[in-house]
Amino acid sequence: MSIRQAPALTTHNRKSTMAQQPETRVSATTPRLHVAHLAKTYGSGGKARTVIEDLTFTVDAGEVVCIVGPSGVGKTTLLKCLAGLQPASSGTAAIDGRTISGPPPEMALVFQDYNRSLMPWLTVRKNLVLPLRHLKLPAAELKERCDSALAAVGLSHADNQYPWQLSGGMQQRVAIARALAYRPEILIMDEPFASVDAQTRFDLEDLCLKIRKDFNMTILVVTHDIDEAVYLADRVVVLGSRPARVLRVVEVDLPAPRDQITTRSLPEFARQRTDVLSLIKRPA
Amino acid sequence: MKVSIHPYALSAVGIAGALVIWQILSAANLAGNALPAATTVFATLASILGTGAFWSSLGATLGVALLALAVAAVAGVALGLLVGSFEPVRYATAAVLEFLKPVPPIVILPLAVLVLGPTAEMSFFLVVFGCLLPIVMQTVDGVQGADPVARDTARSYGMGEGEILARVVLPSAMPYIGTAMRVAAPAALVVTVVAGLLGGGPGLGQNIYQAQAAGDYASLYALVIVLGVLGLLFQAATRLAERRVLHWHESYREVVH
Repeated sequence: MSIRQAPALTTHNRKSTMAQQPETRVSATTPRLHVAHLAKTYGSGGKARTVIEDLTFTVDAGEVVCIVGPSGVGKTTLLKCLAGLQPASSGTAAIDGRTISGPPPEMALVFQDYNRSLMPWLTVRKNLVLPLRHLKLPAAELKERCDSALAAVGLSHADNQYPWQLSGGMQQRVAIARALAYRPEILIMDEPFASVDAQTRFDLEDLCLKIRKDFNMTILVVTHDIDEAVYLADRVVVLGSRPARVLRVVEVDLPAPRDQITTRSLPEFARQRTDVLSLIKRPA
Repeated sequence: MKVSIHPYALSAVGIAGALVIWQILSAANLAGNALPAATTVFATLASILGTGAFWSSLGATLGVALLALAVAAVAGVALGLLVGSFEPVRYATAAVLEFLKPVPPIVILPLAVLVLGPTAEMSFFLVVFGCLLPIVMQTVDGVQGADPVARDTARSYGMGEGEILARVVLPSAMPYIGTAMRVAAPAALVVTVVAGLLGGGPGLGQNIYQAQAAGDYASLYALVIVLGVLGLLFQAATRLAERRVLHWHESYREVVH
């Protein structure tokens, strides 16, 4: 029994330590996530297609970083490399200095297509439980994780429904809750709010900021929406296309807490988004 | 056209119509004694239903058909998962499977009778042979059709390959397997009967052969009616099972928005 509980307790201890003493972390010297000269080429010889060429950027602990770039820039390829779903052709991605070679246990991924990433044959709660099974948690902790994750996204009432019975925005909340129940330290989102309506999009953006605040989580969001990137991020990594490379990393210094109405109406917000937009629009 | 009569009522009308036509054709004596009157056949059916021999034949037929179907389902799904998941296995088996697929079980019936004799085992073997391949092929298609995003999701959460196969890929393939089962279930019944009719395996098929050989056409048609009803029940049972297992699938979802 004690052996079974050990991994869960470790995770808990590590998390609470982090939450109480963020200043003791070594983020100043070692970033949480470090992507160094990452490149990905599909195929070889004459048919070789380089999707990513020499990407370098970092994400510090507790930071929200957004990656923006023109569509088809290879953002999904980048995320697959970061998530350990496919190997990079050269260069590295590392968490706390450890090179990612498979899906890292401290990372969770939220995909754009919630209706493809949620399992339609499982209820909301069972969708949350699915990736936790192999952790062999005690039943009480399993329940507590699901309960608190569903509460965090405001879906406690929907736990017995099937994803397809819910609206698009609610389904993406389920996907986010599934990630939260996994208790990751790094959350990666691939165009998470691209498939929902504008109002829901604002709600989900604020949910994302709330999660960062409440769980002290490090969040990396890939988006094609420049306003969204500026609104969410501490830093925006602007990618240029074919093959993808970092054009610039823009520091966003908008006051916290951010608010959909006041933040977006700041002259500073307009200036920042213009900066990012002009980088992307600039002819290559 | 808008129909206001209950579909079951219309079905009953259709059945009644068919029986009337049967009775008229028989009275016209077009086929001689090879087509007894519907009334005669149903009277014979009633007396057959009262015999123990009939029920033990029915039991033998159902036993072979259901057991062989279950074995074909379990083995077919397991093989399909294996073939669908591992590329080398798929390449190695593709040609053999495609070659065997169009071979009807009746073609190998003489061989089966030669090796196993006119036994329940022979019938069992033929049914498994007939049902296995369609189930394998459909499972392979289902495995290939599993959404890569769902797989990536599972992998990103550190789920192992075996767990992904059992908990993500297999449920994804269930609609395909359901379709295969809907076709395989009546086929299992048909092959069991054919194995009895032509191969001498025990059960209703053998009874039909004996009735035919004895020129007892009323019994023959009575047994055919029994088979028809069994076929309907098999179909209904598989539909019901499919609806329960696949209640989450698009084609079965109850609209609740």
